[in-house]
Amino acid sequence: MTLVEQLQIWLGAFLVLSLFSFLYKDNPFYKFAEHIFAGLSAGYYIGLIWQNVIIQQLIDPMFDQGRWWLVFPGLLGLLMFARFFPKWSWISRISLAFIMGNTAGVFLISQLHGIVLPQTVATMLSLDPRNGFGTVLLALIVVCGVISTLVYFYFSKEHKGILGGTAKVGIWFIMISFGAHFGYTVMARISLLIGQVRFLMFDWGGSIKQLF
Amino acid sequence: MGFWDKLANLDRRWIYLSVAISVIFPMLFVIKFPVEISPEARQLYNAVESLPDSSVVFLTFDYYPSTLAETEPMSIAALNQMFRKNMKVITMTTIPLGGPSIAERVTRMVAEKYNKVYGVDYVNLGYKANYVAVLKGMGSSIESIYPSDNRGTPLKDLPLMNKVKNYNDIKFIYVVADNAIVDYWISIVNAQYKTPVGAGMTAVMAPKMYPFVQAGQLTGLLGGMKGAAEYEELVGVKGTAIRGMDAQSLVHLLIIGFVILGNISYFVTRKKTGPGVMK
Repeated sequence: MTLVEQLQIWLGAFLVLSLFSFLYKDNPFYKFAEHIFAGLSAGYYIGLIWQNVIIQQLIDPMFDQGRWWLVFPGLLGLLMFARFFPKWSWISRISLAFIMGNTAGVFLISQLHGIVLPQTVATMLSLDPRNGFGTVLLALIVVCGVISTLVYFYFSKEHKGILGGTAKVGIWFIMISFGAHFGYTVMARISLLIGQVRFLMFDWGGSIKQLF
Repeated sequence: MGFWDKLANLDRRWIYLSVAISVIFPMLFVIKFPVEISPEARQLYNAVESLPDSSVVFLTFDYYPSTLAETEPMSIAALNQMFRKNMKVITMTTIPLGGPSIAERVTRMVAEKYNKVYGVDYVNLGYKANYVAVLKGMGSSIESIYPSDNRGTPLKDLPLMNKVKNYNDIKFIYVVADNAIVDYWISIVNAQYKTPVGAGMTAVMAPKMYPFVQAGQLTGLLGGMKGAAEYEELVGVKGTAIRGMDAQSLVHLLIIGFVILGNISYFVTRKKTGPGVMK
């Protein structure tokens, strides 16, 4: 392990322990690590966008490849900076209108064809008993879950009678879904903890062993 | 103050300490909890395995360094499987912070194991801003979106990229992500260009993706460290996910215990003080 790698590991371990120290109580080490993270991220992001977007996708194609028409999206981008000047901030709306129109067009098609229609089709499951009891039961659960959850989110009529009963079934499906999400979230957070503990025990620990 | 009252007012730092012990203990003393393979993980493995050798595949590194513990083992296992089948791998990321360097480091590490050559067997395209434009644009021309790779080499100078123009030349897209980008791989790339997409996700994101597997829009799914461990098991790589599952399982047992104790304590103390006054 080189000296630079050792330094990287020790710096990483110091920052991880500083952040973990918040679990005991708020303290200056935690704040220090938090501010370093925010500042580093912002600096890294600016550098990356400058190189990958401004240079590679605007300046180079315009001047090296003669794609002069890129001056128009470049100008639209510059107009966004008008927001810093209250008197001229309205100009940025031109760029925003372009972004909104473009985004709406792209997402309308992709959401409709990619999500809404295929998911609706996937709900129309066969209840043919020849498919086997298990398959039919699962299909019934999917269909009941979708319909009752949709009914729960139907607010134009008071939830009474059949509508109220179906909405209650919908709540059960939503709660079970929340439970699954919560279980997975616990697993995710513990995984992150395991990752950091592994780093401290084996990488940092190994580095300490090597030093002494 | 009785036992249940004490438990109801337990300082949360004791819980943190017990979780920390439960994570550290199995790392020192291996328990080896079994890892069952889920049908979704097997589906993803079989989808890659059934591709002809030397197929060109996409592997994305759509995750931040903060979720490495869950996602990196998936990428490593997937790369092992792909390189073992002599597949040509194109990597990319939609994550600016860390994504390009993680892709570079992990791919190079696994490629060296299989003597793969950069530019011939694998290419790292790196990061480009505005993922919707990137995903859509690569449908017509990858080179128009990525004129050069992550190292600044023009794509036309890379032998692998001379054979690949757009999604039509890609046999499978293997997304490893910690965010909602999988939605866009499905709704833009799979739906519009019909390229099969499989995904490995952080556990937080995984439940949202099961309907896409059921609908056939996703070809297989890995959820969190458990999913990564399953894939390592399938590929035959003894990685960090399998080793982390002991700690994962032990902490889950601990949390189940806490949930049960917490609920008993709530109902016992509520009887004494009335509902809704628990601190």
